[in-house]
Amino acid sequence: MNGNSTNKLYKQIKKISDQMFTIGLWIITSLILVLIFLLLIYILSKGLTKISFSFLVGIPSEIDVGGGVGPFLLNSIYVLLISLLISVPIGIGSGVYLSEYAPNNKLTEFIRSCVESLASVPSIVIGLFGYVLFVDIFNVGLTIIGAGITLSLLNLPVITRVTEEAIQAIHMDLREASYAMGATKAQTILKIVIPAALNGIISGVSLAASRAFGESALILLVGGTGTSGEMWDWSLLSPGGTLPVHLWYVQSEALVEDASEIAEKTAALLVLITLFLSLSIRFPLWVRDFRFQNKSNKR
Amino acid sequence: MAKMLQELRGSQFTNRYEKRITKSTYFQNRMFRLFCFFSVLILGLSLLSIIIFVGRTGLLVFKDVSFQEFFFSTTWEPYDDKFGAATFILGTLSLTGLTLLLAAPISIGIAIFTSEIAPNWLKRILRPVLDLLVGIPSIVYGYLGLTVLIPFLRNITGATMGDGLLAAAIVLNIMVLPTISRISDDAISSVPSELREASYALGSTRMQTIIKVILPAASPGIFTAVILGMARSIGETMAVVMVIGNTPQLPSDLLTPTSVLTSNIVNQIIDVEFDSTWNYALYMMAFLLLLISNLLIIIIRKLRVKGA
Amino acid sequence: MSIFKRITILTLSLVLALGFSISSIASAATSGKIVVAGSTALLPLTQQAAKEFKKLNPKVSVSVSGSSSIAGPQSVSKGAATIGAVDWDATKEVPGFKAFTDLKAHKIAVIPFATIVHKENPVKDLSTKQLQNIYAGKITNWKEVGGKDAEIVVVNRKHGSGTRVNYQMKALAGEDFMTKGENYKEVGKSGEMVTAVNSNPNAIGYVDFAYVKGNIKAISFNGVEATTDNVIKGKYKIWSYGYLVTKGVPKGADAEFIKYIQSSKFQNGSLTKLKFIPISKMK
Repeated sequence: MNGNSTNKLYKQIKKISDQMFTIGLWIITSLILVLIFLLLIYILSKGLTKISFSFLVGIPSEIDVGGGVGPFLLNSIYVLLISLLISVPIGIGSGVYLSEYAPNNKLTEFIRSCVESLASVPSIVIGLFGYVLFVDIFNVGLTIIGAGITLSLLNLPVITRVTEEAIQAIHMDLREASYAMGATKAQTILKIVIPAALNGIISGVSLAASRAFGESALILLVGGTGTSGEMWDWSLLSPGGTLPVHLWYVQSEALVEDASEIAEKTAALLVLITLFLSLSIRFPLWVRDFRFQNKSNKR
Repeated sequence: MAKMLQELRGSQFTNRYEKRITKSTYFQNRMFRLFCFFSVLILGLSLLSIIIFVGRTGLLVFKDVSFQEFFFSTTWEPYDDKFGAATFILGTLSLTGLTLLLAAPISIGIAIFTSEIAPNWLKRILRPVLDLLVGIPSIVYGYLGLTVLIPFLRNITGATMGDGLLAAAIVLNIMVLPTISRISDDAISSVPSELREASYALGSTRMQTIIKVILPAASPGIFTAVILGMARSIGETMAVVMVIGNTPQLPSDLLTPTSVLTSNIVNQIIDVEFDSTWNYALYMMAFLLLLISNLLIIIIRKLRVKGA
Repeated sequence: MSIFKRITILTLSLVLALGFSISSIASAATSGKIVVAGSTALLPLTQQAAKEFKKLNPKVSVSVSGSSSIAGPQSVSKGAATIGAVDWDATKEVPGFKAFTDLKAHKIAVIPFATIVHKENPVKDLSTKQLQNIYAGKITNWKEVGGKDAEIVVVNRKHGSGTRVNYQMKALAGEDFMTKGENYKEVGKSGEMVTAVNSNPNAIGYVDFAYVKGNIKAISFNGVEATTDNVIKGKYKIWSYGYLVTKGVPKGADAEFIKYIQSSKFQNGSLTKLKFIPISKMK
């Protein structure tokens, strides 16, 4: 009798502590997520309503009220495109080489570990490298092209790693089937392996792109804080200040009287663009997954 | 599966067609291989040159400054030829420690919640949302820290300034939370379900299963997540610059302005000549950052071997 | 092995070609490109000048940014900028900074500096002695200098600032600043100084006149009010000349730009409006 009741008590304690645990995790997760969301909504609500078209294309002003961020926005997109143009083909190429071609020796292992460690090296270290390369050695000063190339060095290891991992996850059967039909290795990779690994590769590229878009320390060193001060200036040698750098600059500079308002609007714009960037890259994948799931469910 | 079959069928078609032009196919094959090889060559060369260049320039500092002074002196007065970087090294270490103290338990909690407790519909929302949060520019968090957090800290603690390690740690904490939770979530989800079922079959509750079975099984992955979060918080620059106070002094408490490796580099690099001890000292600090992050990666690789 | 050799040669020549083409584009483009870096004390002035100059010469691109004075000559001799703004004559040695012998300096304005506090602070005047003690960390409470009972938050510019050099020489009569402390903060730029004082009622700092607006006020120095008039009359002592430096004798757009700032139209117009003082007024 007695043993039975202690057993019951024990079971009850077990049950209660289990419930407490569950509730605790619910509370922590929702608290943190609500906090982060409130912060994001705070930024968006403070800035978004005030953003006008003239702010988006306007020339920044240091003295008069009402300056825009046009050239910074343009530079942001320009620098990002340059960096992706360089890092996507090279990154995917290296990923393919490491997973499909590379002989299994020490050199390959060394390159692989190099790639992995550089994927997490602080951006400022790469920024310092770019700073000396472009300012001291090539002597071009702080430019868009310098910022783009240096930024691609930041992206490269990330894209390479993601590609390699995504490709390695593809089943050997697929490749063998392709070889059996007489396809060459290049054909197999280009037409079978890469399309099958596309999901992983694209989410890797999107991760790299949003990291590159938000990068500030590296751009500050290689691109500078300024722009050419004109809209639609496509010269690669103009100063390469971008939106994140401008947010820092405006917030700490505060020369114009509406600096804090410009900072609010810039922050909102940054959040909005990042959300848009990652959503638009991932959206097709979500649709595909959803369809795929539905199909397999039906079967 | 249907999609794969379709792709195979497609390639079969092109294959039949391309047999007639075997020569060019062969050429393409070699070109593609060459392209991939060149990519990896460029990658390897540029990465190697970063390491060699930063390291070589950084080590030049020891021509003028003793090893001991650089690592153990807290006097950073470069215009008087005093290059003691201990303040920044300690600053970076304590900032990272403080960040992880807050971030690791919370994000592991979130990871457990997402993978084990949340109902399926919530999982489908939570994961993409966390992914999106990873992409928010760090400078935005720094801006929030400067405009919201620091006035708040000043109000509740009565501190006169509010910038310092605590503010920086909170900002970094919010920044690395999504990263750590997302990676540990993956690690926990990949624990084989047989383990769970076996544990339930023995009559354990969910809490017991999670704490005694799943977390130990997923621990290498969770450590990896924490270390990656650590790497990110060590290397973060601008968000920290905005809230740390940027004064090279050993802080007496968490609300006193101080400086860390990254913030000091970015604050001073523009003001110094390329060929000066000051410049070399800043490169040495960058090289230290590089070494620390490499060390962390080596630990991760060791963990992976152990896990596998 | 020959494949490896060929590849190395190929990559090397690729890198070299890229480098040369970039630097050749760069040298071709400099004629129409002005990049101003350096002093934030002079930033309002160079910004305004750039704006007006661009209107007159639409084909020239002018980019202006500011971090601190030493960055001016430093960026010019490094080649990151074509013109450097600096609050002292960088071709001569000043305490703490060596002479930049490869540069040429052009005097463009008189910069008056002010000691600033928050508007709510009742303190109106501080003497040299009081300032020395505050900045050395010996006076730590506002009540010791006639204010309310509150700790003084000392905001200083970081090393390399021209404003700091001039303030130390003229307002503190050469006495040293403290370098660390509980209520001590160093900021990089004039704008950060303004933000720091603006948001903290117990802070003290210093900037040039152009930045004194919003919640901050300038206080008198040894009983003399901080006005441009008093600077011209020789009563208010905290001021210095502002310079633009170039690598050697300026050419093309750079020369035009400096000439425009030195023209009497700009000196008596925008320059005076921004609370700087034309060089011709000082005797």
